[in-house]
Amino acid sequence: MKKPLLLTAAIAMASSAATAETLRIPHELGFGGSESMDPISPQRFYEAIQTVYSRLVRQGEDGRPSPDLALSWEATPDAKEWTFKLRPGVTFHNGNAFTAEDVAFSLMRTQSETIDSPTKGVMGIIDHVDVVDPQTVKVVLKDSHADFPLLTMDYRIKMLDAETCGGDLDALCESGNGTGPFELVDLDALGTTTMKRFENYYGNRAGVENLELIAIADQDARVAALQAGQIDLVYSVSAEQVPLFAGNPGFTVQSVPSGRWVGLVMNTQEAPFSDPRVRKAIRMSADRDALGKLVYGKGGYIVSCDHPVWTGDQYRKEIDCGRDVDGAKALLSEAGFADGLEIELFVSDISEGAVKMAEVLQNQAKDAGIEIELVPAPADGYWGDVWMKEAFFATGWSQRPADQILNEAYRSGVAWNETAWNSADFDAKLDSARSELDFGKRKKLYGELQEELWETGGSFIPVHLNITRVLSSKISGLPPVEGFSIRYEDLTKNGSGS
Amino acid sequence: MPSLILRRFSFAAFTIGFVSIVMFAAVEALPGNVCTSFLQRFAQGPRLERCIEQQGLERPALVRYGDWAAGAVQGDFGYSLKKRKPISELIRERFRNTALLGGLAALLAIPFAIFLGIAAGVRRDRPLDLSLSGAAMLAMTVPEFVTATALIYVFAITLQWFPAVTIVSPGAGFLQMLPNIVLPVIVLSAVLIAHIMRMMRASVIDVMASDYVQMARLKGVPERRIIWKHVVPNAMIPALNVIALTIAWLLAGVVVVEKVFNYPGLGTLMIQAIYDRDLPLVQAIALIFSVIYVGVNLLADLAALALDPRLRRKGH
Repeated sequence: MKKPLLLTAAIAMASSAATAETLRIPHELGFGGSESMDPISPQRFYEAIQTVYSRLVRQGEDGRPSPDLALSWEATPDAKEWTFKLRPGVTFHNGNAFTAEDVAFSLMRTQSETIDSPTKGVMGIIDHVDVVDPQTVKVVLKDSHADFPLLTMDYRIKMLDAETCGGDLDALCESGNGTGPFELVDLDALGTTTMKRFENYYGNRAGVENLELIAIADQDARVAALQAGQIDLVYSVSAEQVPLFAGNPGFTVQSVPSGRWVGLVMNTQEAPFSDPRVRKAIRMSADRDALGKLVYGKGGYIVSCDHPVWTGDQYRKEIDCGRDVDGAKALLSEAGFADGLEIELFVSDISEGAVKMAEVLQNQAKDAGIEIELVPAPADGYWGDVWMKEAFFATGWSQRPADQILNEAYRSGVAWNETAWNSADFDAKLDSARSELDFGKRKKLYGELQEELWETGGSFIPVHLNITRVLSSKISGLPPVEGFSIRYEDLTKNGSGS
Repeated sequence: MPSLILRRFSFAAFTIGFVSIVMFAAVEALPGNVCTSFLQRFAQGPRLERCIEQQGLERPALVRYGDWAAGAVQGDFGYSLKKRKPISELIRERFRNTALLGGLAALLAIPFAIFLGIAAGVRRDRPLDLSLSGAAMLAMTVPEFVTATALIYVFAITLQWFPAVTIVSPGAGFLQMLPNIVLPVIVLSAVLIAHIMRMMRASVIDVMASDYVQMARLKGVPERRIIWKHVVPNAMIPALNVIALTIAWLLAGVVVVEKVFNYPGLGTLMIQAIYDRDLPLVQAIALIFSVIYVGVNLLADLAALALDPRLRRKGH
């Protein structure tokens, strides 16, 4: 019995040397196998789309838009018409030339009612797209938007080949024919999806020959697979799993800042939270650094001051929001709660660390005379029964650019305005930031909005979460940047080391 | 006799029907419904209304139960909103994989366990018995996720003989499944063997002490013949029920083991469905598990009837 096993092991080792040029990445099977190669499909296959298609504009190192398929862009003074100059000589995987027609097609289809893409809302700002010449497009907006290139930086706004897609704006286009560094060989969302290097890629030639996306839905299983060398990286491990890899020379552990946040939300229209002094007092009573350490572990967070803009965002405003118990007490007595304040906080296990965060705040707020009673709510039906129904409750958001998150969560009357934030002045500032073409002035405006949320807002956002990524030490060329900015073509794998 | 078998069958059918009602009621009692659990934060306005209409949730619970039960009898468990597929389609392949894993474990473990049980029982309190019983206690007390993790550490991470987690495409053939299935089968078998072996051992010891074995010995029947002719068949009857119970246990064990090895079976599908709050899928799998449970027990009943004439008399 022993011999054949050893033989298998020998064969496995030999074949692993032969396939050293294959980068193996897990995918989380978020849509249970109905993953679509159409980047704007509600079931988009995120991991595959990242490597097969390219964007017009991508994230630069400073968080600002940098060239990808578009080399340069400029706007009319009212920020309503944007002209993009395209990269010449780019071809799709099937050999078709990439032209302005493809850009017009790819942008306009995001608005299709039939596809019902999650990008529809954001891209709805486009009125129409004019093809000026094969290398130039003009995008005409319905309203001014000084940061329109930022919107096209969204990881789903990829450029498709109009011809391959049949030119139909209302049909899903799942061909996988893109301009990215890898081309699709075999799509098998439930098993292993394979890709190979695209030799005519316009950027750096891919560092590995093949790329495999392996479906592993379970987090613990992904970690075991990484340990056993079945895959080369795991995008995100939990704080408890870090010690499995830390200090092991076979692996590299990266801490990557992200825009994800978990928060506690006060409805600004309901007593006692309708009084901004009460809101500020509760928020001031928190020691954010201690909270972050307790809930997310050392290196698992970056302190934020109750605004949703993360550190990787070009508009992030750094504010000083250290703990101030005396200040909180003073505000409370001003608001008529000199003898202390009793409130209920509805929590559930809906986002990473939400319950723990509530418990820590409960303890910290005691020092300022605030008694928080935690009301556990079932996770089933939480978003319908508790979220935005109670006066004080937990929430969680994924990463979004400053303009998007501020408009989605704080503009008066929008669907997900969870703090019931209602300020005409705030809305007006959002509008003027959008139409301000000067970067410095725009940054100042967004900064003021963030300060306003810290001074009077209803969200308690103590930290933004870091992601801990672990990769095999055979992999190089992956800087600690957030997922949307990874350049898969730069990754190399050294297989002979084992 | 036929009426007796019919009674057992109808009782099993009644049990399954009752379980299905309890399950349906439990899901009804949860806050929210299929649509709110699927739409989460989007569960508001026209989107929610559209979903409720499509799912027919505005009808009374009794009507919906009737619909669901009638469909389930014909193998139609409805539609998974989360996975965008009919549930019967989702389940088919997974069922095959779980049956392969559980079946293989049972097939290997049961004869092996019976053999070990006899060996230990016959050599009661001697070194072989003591070491086998000790090992069985260990296998029974260490939870299967611990065994599984230890095996992964040794054979997948350190020695790299077997994969740590299962990575196969749907529709993979038996040969492709084989290397992936070795460790999970060992984990499941270990517990199965331990339980069945201990029962078999106790039962063999009982029979060995009986008057008729004593009689056979006094008559000078060779020991080997006594064991195979008199002891084993009589010791099998009590062991049969334990085997049925252990196979039923296998269902729970399979969920844990599949999760640890990321094995694409019903267990991992169930766990995913619970995470996704995919209520119709959870309901369907729970029902399948209860049918298997009841079915295995029914088989054990029938087998006992066949082996033991005393049970066939009235009043049982």
